[in-house]
Amino acid sequence: MTAQIETTEHEVAQLIVDALHLEMTADEIAPDAPLFGEGLGLDSIDALELALALSRTYGVDLKSDDARNPRIFASLRTLTGHIEAHRTR
Amino acid sequence: MRGMTESSWSRKRERGSGALIRFMSWLSLRLGWPVGFLLLFPISAYFFCFSGGARGASRRYLDRALGRPATAADVFRHIFTFACVLLDRIFLLAGRLDRFRIEVTGLDHLLAATSGGGGCVLFGAHFGSFEALRAFGRNAPVRVNALMFRANAGAYSQIMDRLDPRLREDIIEIGTPDSMLRVRDCIERGEIVGILADRTACDRKAAAVPFLGEQAPFPTGPFTLAGALGVPVVLFFGIRKGNRHYEVRFEPFAEHVVLPAGDRAAALRDLAGRYAGRLEAQCRQNPYNWFNFYDFWARHPAKAIPAGGARARDLDGAARPGSSPVLAP
Repeated sequence: MTAQIETTEHEVAQLIVDALHLEMTADEIAPDAPLFGEGLGLDSIDALELALALSRTYGVDLKSDDARNPRIFASLRTLTGHIEAHRTR
Repeated sequence: MRGMTESSWSRKRERGSGALIRFMSWLSLRLGWPVGFLLLFPISAYFFCFSGGARGASRRYLDRALGRPATAADVFRHIFTFACVLLDRIFLLAGRLDRFRIEVTGLDHLLAATSGGGGCVLFGAHFGSFEALRAFGRNAPVRVNALMFRANAGAYSQIMDRLDPRLREDIIEIGTPDSMLRVRDCIERGEIVGILADRTACDRKAAAVPFLGEQAPFPTGPFTLAGALGVPVVLFFGIRKGNRHYEVRFEPFAEHVVLPAGDRAAALRDLAGRYAGRLEAQCRQNPYNWFNFYDFWARHPAKAIPAGGARARDLDGAARPGSSPVLAP
């Protein structure tokens, strides 16, 4: 079943905006712009809130000791790809 | 451009204090605490004379905390207290606790918060000695971790690491996207995570609340974190009461942090305001324990004290130039 449900960048962008209470619209998040630091400017508290939201919405659990984290969190596009590959709901 | 001047001053000071602390650490561990203590007088006098930024910030703070115009003697005592805490830190890290008196008050509050096995967060400030808490934490039934910056500490953190190699294990580094996931993991294991919740780094996560008579920016990030994790918040203060005498004090703050979706910003401001009020009470009782030697009331903290790049975006501004080395290793 996994990897067969389509996950759009727009719906993940909407989740980011909602979960982090950002004052912007989902369309304003560029797919390839960095989410952390420069770019969208998220920090690690945002990362935690995002991780909790991803777990609730998609059943995707992010681990703190996962070496892939920098890549998963790199951009909206990479995050969407990770969700698509690992979602359980 | 006063901010620029203050920051270049602090950089210089931190560079200088690295060598100084190495020397002091070597000397006082060999010759004993009283020798190190005596040397604090000329050292404090030096910083009093040549650190205009620290002197000015101390005076502005003490005017408010003491409720009267601070005298030169007050400012000297403030700088001297900071130096004492630094010296004691060396001994506490080296495990040389003989002759130290560390009283613990309010332990019941901490035990109550962790009794469910779910862990809790401890909020402190750049106030007194964080090391006194760690000295307590070594013997605590539950593991106490510290969330803090290490990246910019350089030589200083090397010295501290050498004094206590276990230090590294108990520190969760701020500044990577998964820092807070590590905090979550600690909480899930039922552990305690200590956070310094008095410095702001980014405007999006700060609220202006009354503190010692004027609005000051306080971070809201720690409360967002507590809300997201659904853990109790307990306050702690490592108060220096006298020579080699500390009180580690725990106070209840919130059993649950609830952030209503509709009125989140107001709820966060309210929590930051309550925290500032509790900190203010401690500052009035123990005025010389406050170790934020920069203009704490600056309206735009991120602009007033330029901090380097992305690091400054995180939970607490410990990476900011001017941060006190005792609490920002």
